[in-house]
Amino acid sequence: MPNALLLGPVFIPLTASALTIVTAGNRSLQHLIAITSGVLAWLSAIGVLLANLSQGVQTYAIGGWQPPHGIVFVGDQLSSFFAVMATTVLLAGIIYILGCKDKSVSYPTFMPLFLAMSAGLSGALYTGDIFTLFVFIELMVISSVIMVAISDNRLGLEAAIKYLFISAMGTLFLLFGIGALYATFGTLNMADIARLLSSGERPLLAEAAAVMLACAFLLKSAVFPFHFWQPDFHTTAPTPLSAMLSSVVVKVGVYGLLRLVTLLFTSESGTIQTILIVLGVIGVFFGSLAALRTYDAKRLLAYSTFGQIGFILVGIGWGTPAALAAALVYTFNHALIKSSLLMLTGVVSSHTLGKTARISEIGGIGNKMVLTGGLYFIGGLALAGVPPLNGFISKLALAQSGVEANDWVTLGLIVGAGILTLIYMSRTWQHIFQRAPEEGVKAKPNGDSPLAPALLIAGCIFLGFYAQPLLDLATRTVTQIGNPQVYIQAVFGG
Amino acid sequence: MNTLFAIATGVMFAIGVFQVLRRDLIKAAMGFNILFTAVNLLLLAVGAFNGTSAAYVDDANQIAGQPSDPLVQALLLTAVVISFGSYAVLLGFLAVTSRRFQTVDGDEMRRLSG
Repeated sequence: MPNALLLGPVFIPLTASALTIVTAGNRSLQHLIAITSGVLAWLSAIGVLLANLSQGVQTYAIGGWQPPHGIVFVGDQLSSFFAVMATTVLLAGIIYILGCKDKSVSYPTFMPLFLAMSAGLSGALYTGDIFTLFVFIELMVISSVIMVAISDNRLGLEAAIKYLFISAMGTLFLLFGIGALYATFGTLNMADIARLLSSGERPLLAEAAAVMLACAFLLKSAVFPFHFWQPDFHTTAPTPLSAMLSSVVVKVGVYGLLRLVTLLFTSESGTIQTILIVLGVIGVFFGSLAALRTYDAKRLLAYSTFGQIGFILVGIGWGTPAALAAALVYTFNHALIKSSLLMLTGVVSSHTLGKTARISEIGGIGNKMVLTGGLYFIGGLALAGVPPLNGFISKLALAQSGVEANDWVTLGLIVGAGILTLIYMSRTWQHIFQRAPEEGVKAKPNGDSPLAPALLIAGCIFLGFYAQPLLDLATRTVTQIGNPQVYIQAVFGG
Repeated sequence: MNTLFAIATGVMFAIGVFQVLRRDLIKAAMGFNILFTAVNLLLLAVGAFNGTSAAYVDDANQIAGQPSDPLVQALLLTAVVISFGSYAVLLGFLAVTSRRFQTVDGDEMRRLSG
């Protein structure tokens, strides 16, 4: 079904980005444009999802050029699911920026860059053309790199250089994969490639392309052998950005991997999934253990993202419908939890003199912040998977699918490592909010507003008590992506 | 022609990887650019030699023979712009770094590790 609403989550932030450059002199006008575009993008993402549920896959051929020749935006269940997640968290990020006291956030270029990043993120999720995917990912990467480089944390520049180099290598892999696919099949449309892959024989170059694309997506979601840039980059980013990076931007890689195993390389998916399970288990252990011994509260959450991405990869690796649905639910819930926790850490560190989140300097700063402490407590419990919060639902769904997949070793390993989450979250909470501050250390009275994380935590609690709709949505999504023909026919029929 | 391009891409890739791994970040940035040029060359080689004549000519001046693939050239233009943009951003970062940390040595810029 052709649906112009698909353009909303991509082009509304992009237009707003241009408008905020024009209105750079007027901060309140900039904020007004940004929040309006955030709300509109969120509503159109939800609109696409609802249209998808009632009428099947939505497509939009840009400029009227029909696929496989033109660029087409495809909103199937998977894209719409991820886009709703992304726009929700991005909206919360914009709300956080409104109440943020960081110096870097007050620069006139911050808002345009943030909006360009959100456009790139939604675009990467919606596009049905593999080269446009590359363009949108680059848009996202370059705008986020610049925001990290101008961060209040002076080390942001070092992290930005590091990430720019490493992401360039990922981009090279992606471009090589695209080149290989184009050399083999003469098309860039994902549905067309999937059709040719499922019917014809398998040239060697196509298998090489699968490896390169998988490497590029693993690098984007910071999975084990490609992970080393992530804690630096996510720690030094300005708070509103680090909340986005650690929660939704890493999910672009997860989305790419899901597309790879369910749409493009379905007959190689067994091999890819075995690798994903191994990498996921390593990620779960490495992330949790590294989070136990880190020196910075923001870095702790960045390491914890490794672990959580590991859980998602194990879910994709099991590959049964229940496991894929669990991975989707996990993705959604983790985005809400992790962004709210990073924002809360940012709220606390905005009350310190040096705006740092180092555990040695942050201890006891949150002693008087009852609301922030309570929210952090709930968020920490949700991350650890304590009922009745949404983190419990996602862990439960994953464990159930593991029992179904009969993979007891992996299940035992990840459940064991999951307990570590409870240890490091409770320890950090006690350290920040329960102790008296050290002598001479005083919290500044003014800091960032905890409104945005409060909204996200409310979402966490809501999805904990009222989890069935999300589970049903994930199950429906898995049913749809279980049959690649639905996607292919929708692109060529619409 | 394809063999030549394959060799050129391979050699440039090797040089680029060597440069990117150097300690001096400015040399590494040059390697970054060489690597992107190698990939651009690969993208060009993927389809540009399938035909012999220009891709879009009006009906009156039709040239005989199979037209070459215009899509790879469009891809190449986009990839060149993007790689050039990120190269410029990277050099900008290095300019600020050399002033702020007084070094562009990759081994000395490790204040974040730990």
